[in-house]
Amino acid sequence: MQIVETTNEGLKRAYTLTIPASSIEARIDAEVKKVAPQVRMPGFRPGKVPTNLIRKMHGASLHSEALNASLRESIDTLMRDKQLRPALQPKVDLAEGYEEGKDAEVTVELEVLPEITAPSIDGLALERLVVPVSDEALDESLAKLAGSQKSYKDAAKTKKAADGDQLIIDFVGSIDGVEFEGGKAEGAPLVLGSNQFIPGFEEQLVGVKTGEEKTITVTFPEDYPAENLKGKEAQFAITVQQVKTESETVVDEEFATSLGLESLDKLKELMKVQLEQESAGLTRTQMKRQLLDKLAADHDFEVPPTMVEAEFGQIWEQLTNEIAREENPEEGMKEIEAEKDDYRRIAERRVRLGLLLSEIGQANGVEVSQQEMRMLIQQAAQQYRQEDRQRFVDYVSQDPMAQAQLRAPLYEDKVVDFLFDKAEVTEREVTREELEAAIEAEEGGAEAKPAEKKAPAKKKAAAKKDAAEAEAPAAEADAPAEAAAEEKPAKKAPAKKAAAKADDAKAEGEDKPAKKPAAKKPAAKKADKD
Amino acid sequence: MAKKQEIDARHYDVILAPHITEKATLLSEFNAVVFKVARDATKPQVKEAIEAIYDRKVKGVNILVQKGKSKRWKGRPYSRTDVKKAIVTLVDGQDPIDITSGI
Repeated sequence: MQIVETTNEGLKRAYTLTIPASSIEARIDAEVKKVAPQVRMPGFRPGKVPTNLIRKMHGASLHSEALNASLRESIDTLMRDKQLRPALQPKVDLAEGYEEGKDAEVTVELEVLPEITAPSIDGLALERLVVPVSDEALDESLAKLAGSQKSYKDAAKTKKAADGDQLIIDFVGSIDGVEFEGGKAEGAPLVLGSNQFIPGFEEQLVGVKTGEEKTITVTFPEDYPAENLKGKEAQFAITVQQVKTESETVVDEEFATSLGLESLDKLKELMKVQLEQESAGLTRTQMKRQLLDKLAADHDFEVPPTMVEAEFGQIWEQLTNEIAREENPEEGMKEIEAEKDDYRRIAERRVRLGLLLSEIGQANGVEVSQQEMRMLIQQAAQQYRQEDRQRFVDYVSQDPMAQAQLRAPLYEDKVVDFLFDKAEVTEREVTREELEAAIEAEEGGAEAKPAEKKAPAKKKAAAKKDAAEAEAPAAEADAPAEAAAEEKPAKKAPAKKAAAKADDAKAEGEDKPAKKPAAKKPAAKKADKD
Repeated sequence: MAKKQEIDARHYDVILAPHITEKATLLSEFNAVVFKVARDATKPQVKEAIEAIYDRKVKGVNILVQKGKSKRWKGRPYSRTDVKKAIVTLVDGQDPIDITSGI
């Protein structure tokens, strides 16, 4: 086999390989010999078919198989000989005019992964900001929970419905005396002022009493989804069955039992655990950011442009989708056009961090075990309907690409955990506000430097994405898609400087929940690992 | 192809198909090829046809009729069709006939 290097610039490499016909021929012969004992043909006892006949019958398929095998093999040897680590699937082209019996000429184009000097993982100093759950916070969230569990009590017959009251109504809607589809309901609960119904509907019901019958006329809005109702005027004949007033929910034993718990203490305990998890998530986010910041600052190497391009393409698509849904797409387009370079930088940073993390993981033997993988698949399968689950599991266990997609976030998490273990972690107790402020402060600081602008906000997302990419270079995981999604609010923020911080904080908040499904690990488990 | 068109069509009525079996391949050692031929074909006809179609010299032709087995289906006896086979021996020193390419 002959290897000729045609390009070698930066991380790009191209080679021309020539595979001699004789080696392909030899492979076919070997293959024929292998299949001969199994071939059945009428007129022959099994396995007694002469080789020349086998060749006649299966020659074409055997040949293409042999050609593929020798292609693969020669590419493998190429990689080994030149010590290449391809970033993405190499592009392989068979020269035109190839026929059986001729030498095969193959051009291989690929991008290599940059040489990453095994990152030093010792001496990383991180600060863990811990938020103890305070009683006030507990009470507050309890109150919030109570507020969301509004209950309504039957009001006296004479009570006139006001804003905030709940009505139980029957209604029949008609246009020009003709009833229309979906315009009829019985016993429908409606909270006045909640704007659940079309505008004007609820307003006209203010002041009704229990048992009252009323006919109102409402105009459907122009942007109503149903085509035949748009902008039409409709009459609704309404019977009020009951007027209910809102009643305050008090946090007490009864409330706890109504939620299906044994006692108030139990409820409090649960709330506390939940809050702890929440703040643990924040803490982790903050630590991870610190870590990635440090890594990014310490390492700088060339990254494969196609990987960056793919990453960038994804961000871009996400953005354009987002903008298309906004009110004035043109303006939004302009805005992101102006920041195109920034997004490119972000993409590059993500790729770089991803490579770095996977490198660290590999160097230190971080692995995702079979068992964890199974669990991941199970969890991912939960999103599907019952009957599709088995199909999904089968699909994933057969498709290495899909597996990589699932594995990537977990792998990244594990690497980060590993680094946390290694790093010198100093613990500091802070309040939740301080923790949030710390996250914001970093953002603010970074924003000052234009080059680093916006980066911190999405570091986390970036890292996840990167890991995904590093894991499955060719595969575009859905983790990345999520990452991009999370990141959106953060990205918009710098554009609207004033709102930046608030938005960033929000992005941060979103980071966490989004992260969990992505990692497909129960929060508890994560907590253990920490 | 053009050459084939010159071949008289009647020759194709004589030679029906090559008979490819283990035994037939063993015969290739003796420069012989086996064909299924028409039920009413004669040795001279087969010889003529092979010489015309494959452009080879034929040394001799042996012919046999393989009688169809008698079978029963739903208790009723019937017999499979008879097949006439011709073992064609070629004159030494010629390329063997590639029977797998069909007629």
